[in-house]
Amino acid sequence: MNLYFYFFLGLIGLLLILLIWSLRKPRRSARPHQGMSLPEECGSRHTAYLPQIQQALAKEDYEYVSRRASRELLRRFRTERRRTALAFLAGLREDFENLLEVAKVVAVLSPEVVALQEFEKLRLTWQFRWGFERVRLQIWMGHAQLADVSSLANVVSGLSVRMQRAIKELGERAALASKLGSSLDGGGVHTV
Amino acid sequence: MIVELQKLQQVVWGANVLAAVILFILVVSRQNYRAFPAFTLYLLTNTALSIWVFIAYKQWGINSNAAWWFAWGMQVIATGARALAVSELCRRILARYVGIWNLAWRILLSCATVLLVYSWVATEYQWKLAVIRAERGLELAIAAVIVGVFVFTRHYGVTVEPTDRWMGVGYCLYSCFSVVNNTLLERYLNRYVPIWNFLEMLAFLASLLLWTWALRKKLPESASSVTLLPEAVYSTLTPEINVRLESLNENLKRLWYPEVKRP
Repeated sequence: MNLYFYFFLGLIGLLLILLIWSLRKPRRSARPHQGMSLPEECGSRHTAYLPQIQQALAKEDYEYVSRRASRELLRRFRTERRRTALAFLAGLREDFENLLEVAKVVAVLSPEVVALQEFEKLRLTWQFRWGFERVRLQIWMGHAQLADVSSLANVVSGLSVRMQRAIKELGERAALASKLGSSLDGGGVHTV
Repeated sequence: MIVELQKLQQVVWGANVLAAVILFILVVSRQNYRAFPAFTLYLLTNTALSIWVFIAYKQWGINSNAAWWFAWGMQVIATGARALAVSELCRRILARYVGIWNLAWRILLSCATVLLVYSWVATEYQWKLAVIRAERGLELAIAAVIVGVFVFTRHYGVTVEPTDRWMGVGYCLYSCFSVVNNTLLERYLNRYVPIWNFLEMLAFLASLLLWTWALRKKLPESASSVTLLPEAVYSTLTPEINVRLESLNENLKRLWYPEVKRP
């Protein structure tokens, strides 16, 4: 009885804290950073380096170097390889976060253009986070699976394509709206 | 002490009815019932029920079983009307955003159901407390749904109109207070009854004042659902627009870069 009594009081306390938090003005807007346009944000800049990363992580390359290089050089080679792979992973994560931010903005700015269903967004987020941690662990342990790295990059590039399509649709709708608006004015400017 | 409290209770009851009537007149005169039909219905139901309950107590006496059951039955109806009004508010805030709304309503409904069931089974099953628990469960669900909607709007950066925000705060604060009050009533039962009713009415009066503040002005005509063109029109016009935009782009290029060789 006592436990339930305090449970209800605690729950109400929690709800009130959440209410106050959600009604406060947000520190930053959900819009992308100033100076960045939506199409720029839609790019998956880091996935372009996937072939190089795959090459760097290739088993054959490591075996080749390990046969010829000194122990010191091999150690440096391993460290550099790990550092590069981790930097690439961090870049992928940055791209992914940016794309999610764009999806959020598209969902708010144009409710009719459903860039990404929110459930799917949750699924993709979990898929990416889980894959990210797995690949990071593999890199730390020194045997990253190329397939896992590729599938992580595929998630990002797939999302990027969908965002670009949504942005394009947004642009077309805006153009259509403006065309219809000028037609209604009766004296629209003819461009051809 | 108890007699004084009863007198005070009657004063607050009168103030509640008066405030509800004023709010109702305000809603009708400002034509805000168009934006909040379910809320208007809730207000009407609540005021009517509260007058019936008063008559029932007068008729059957404050300690009669019949009056007790009647009062609680009416309370359940009022809470149901309240749940409808809350769902109306949620739709007003989020339904425009199709993707967000699809996720939000499922999560909110699941939370509400879980809380409703949990608050019902949280203590041993006793008939006497059944109605109190049912009401507490509903109020808890309502509070969670309102908070959930505001959390969603915060996460997505959706702008909430001040009217909707104050309406939501009014619902939420009353529901939170009601849960606490009912939990205390369940625990201290007979000792707490005189104060319980008085505090509940005070909390409702505070909510009424908040809603009056929120609806003091006439709301702009509700942005009725945007009429979209049929998909076929859209797909026919889009290529044409693209061609025109391309042409405009070429014209602008020639204008800004006259040195570019003309074909």
